[in-house]
Amino acid sequence: MYRLFQFISKQRAFIVFVLLEVLSLWMFYSYNNYPNAVFFNTTNYYAAKALETSNSIAVYYNLRNVNQDLATENKQLREMVLKLQAQQLVQPKVNYKADSIVAARFQPIVAKVTELTTNQFNNYITIDKGTADGLAPGMGVISSTGVVGKIKSCSEHMSRVISVLHSEYTMSAKIRRNNEIGSVKWDGKNPELLEMTDVSRYKSVKQRDTIVTSDYNYVFPADIAIGYVTKVGVKKDMTFHDIQLKVATNFNTLSYVYVIKNRLEKEVKQLEETPENKTPQTSKAPQTTKP
Amino acid sequence: MTLRNIIPEVLTFIFYLLLQVFFVRQLVFFDYAFCFSYVAAVLLLPFETSRLQLVLLGFVAGLFVDIFYNTAGANAAATTLIAYLRPSIITLLTPQRGYDERQVLTLRSMGFGWFISYLGILTLIHHFVLFMLEASDWGLFFQVILKVLASIIFTNTVIIILQFFRKE
Repeated sequence: MYRLFQFISKQRAFIVFVLLEVLSLWMFYSYNNYPNAVFFNTTNYYAAKALETSNSIAVYYNLRNVNQDLATENKQLREMVLKLQAQQLVQPKVNYKADSIVAARFQPIVAKVTELTTNQFNNYITIDKGTADGLAPGMGVISSTGVVGKIKSCSEHMSRVISVLHSEYTMSAKIRRNNEIGSVKWDGKNPELLEMTDVSRYKSVKQRDTIVTSDYNYVFPADIAIGYVTKVGVKKDMTFHDIQLKVATNFNTLSYVYVIKNRLEKEVKQLEETPENKTPQTSKAPQTTKP
Repeated sequence: MTLRNIIPEVLTFIFYLLLQVFFVRQLVFFDYAFCFSYVAAVLLLPFETSRLQLVLLGFVAGLFVDIFYNTAGANAAATTLIAYLRPSIITLLTPQRGYDERQVLTLRSMGFGWFISYLGILTLIHHFVLFMLEASDWGLFFQVILKVLASIIFTNTVIIILQFFRKE
């Protein structure tokens, strides 16, 4: 027993080293599995406060760019209003009119960026609104110029957003000009460029096409800019296009973002999970086996 | 070591950490060169610091930086490792005549050659572990190597510049 104690006391630096190393690696690898663990990141109250103070200087510095972005957005919105007003005079071809609740299902909440990275392999953004303002994990985040990311975890007054510049983030997208669907992902290299995949090479894609969010998701409203095509090629397997986009959002001067709250998200999810909607698949199976 | 000697060491330690978190964190060159000058907080502790103290301080420093980088544990792992390896590297780099009793761990006292090889070896280990953990993908190996090499140059330059502001 005495020998054991002697050994421990002699090797105590090594033992402590191994313990701490195991602890930090455990923290690192388990971190992604516990999205609500808020202590060891920037949603931690003290860390957030400190960063907010140091960031308030940067916000002033960026005001000129923010103003410019907002002015551009204002112009776009004004154009859209005019367009809609004009459209109302013309009868739609199909007798379809969106229910007012469905049409107004997306509600934007303005939040300020307190911390962001663009040059790591997995980038996150911290914003100054949390569960107290009705935010929840899974909500989409956009800026005045384009898509930013998706909320990963929330504390009471802070939230962390997975940026589009995250190696595991894929989103459904379409080409605005011809409504071709594909998916957009970051390759982890250049923070200015994204990749679009799953677009058949027989479909037309041109340089400077605008890529926007598709209609098939309930995180983002449709038609929010993701990026602009800078390079079009063909993948090695010769079936898909290899498309490179320039990110629509200017992450370097990002100061204010809109969190998109979908009022109908719960309803949609519930609808998709009810067993009635899965019956077509099960009823199909016996039919195919008979002949 | 008396209290009078310890206080400046503690202040330097805190200074390096705050500098990292509030200032140097924003400095990135060409998306490849990062500055992790906070490793100096651990690497430039006095020679007398025991291995146990080094390991504990390394972990604290790493974890503190992790909180602000959102990397939960990656910096802590890398810094604990170099803190543990530090005494071995110092022994490895022993000059032919051995270390002088009066020598302290500063650029002026140790000389440029010793100082740069000491920092170089340990920052190489630190940066490689850190970036590899973050990338978690061998496919990005060359990307990582580029980042490591660029960052070593940046980190060491900053640490050496800071050495010139030291009062002897």
